[in-house]
Amino acid sequence: MAPRFEYAQAEEVREVFARHGVRYLFIGRSGAILLGYPDTTQDANLFLDRNEANGAAAVAALRELGFDLTEPQADEIRRGKDFVQLRSGPFDLDLVFAPDGIETFDDAWRRRVEVEGFPVCHPDDIIRSKEAANRVKDRESLPRLRAFRDYWLRTRR
Amino acid sequence: MEPREPDEHDRREWEAEFEAASRRPLRTRLRYAFIHTYKPVLDDATYRSFGSMAEYRAWCAESLPSWLGYGPAV
Repeated sequence: MAPRFEYAQAEEVREVFARHGVRYLFIGRSGAILLGYPDTTQDANLFLDRNEANGAAAVAALRELGFDLTEPQADEIRRGKDFVQLRSGPFDLDLVFAPDGIETFDDAWRRRVEVEGFPVCHPDDIIRSKEAANRVKDRESLPRLRAFRDYWLRTRR
Repeated sequence: MEPREPDEHDRREWEAEFEAASRRPLRTRLRYAFIHTYKPVLDDATYRSFGSMAEYRAWCAESLPSWLGYGPAV
């Protein structure tokens, strides 16, 4: 098991992804946590724009971050396979190219929220993807997440 | 089992948690948010990929212990 995701690693993702020009958004529980949602999770989830150039940039960035990718694995990421789970790097990371409940990356990008330079999906998109995924753990967490969305909308400055 | 609908007490408690979290810097929030709990099967491979989210969901439902909560809510 990789060490847990820390602020320093989040900063590294932000810097390395920016340098390689990767278009991405934090999504899922890790995205909600960046927005201020008090909860716990194990891995970071990134929603990546699916196109060849972005996939290639992501592979280069991930390798620089220390993810050990074989060439066939790198190819899958370049092609934008819908869901990729990485447990071979400095922290656990899920890459999502087609999250449930969100039409296109551009839609989510337009609605994004920047938190200290981290691009994060809008809480409505995080909620929509969890509603569409409809897993037991999502169903259990949604009432609190919706309450957080309402709080966030009311108090954001 | 359908989760219980939140009541007024839950909402007040959550609101207090959101307030408290909003006073903490992001660095502190991240320090306590990312934890490691071994998840059987899920954490046993260094790489997995799925051609569609439906394929991933089906794999979760079939392969992961139900108590992890990755299966479909009925």
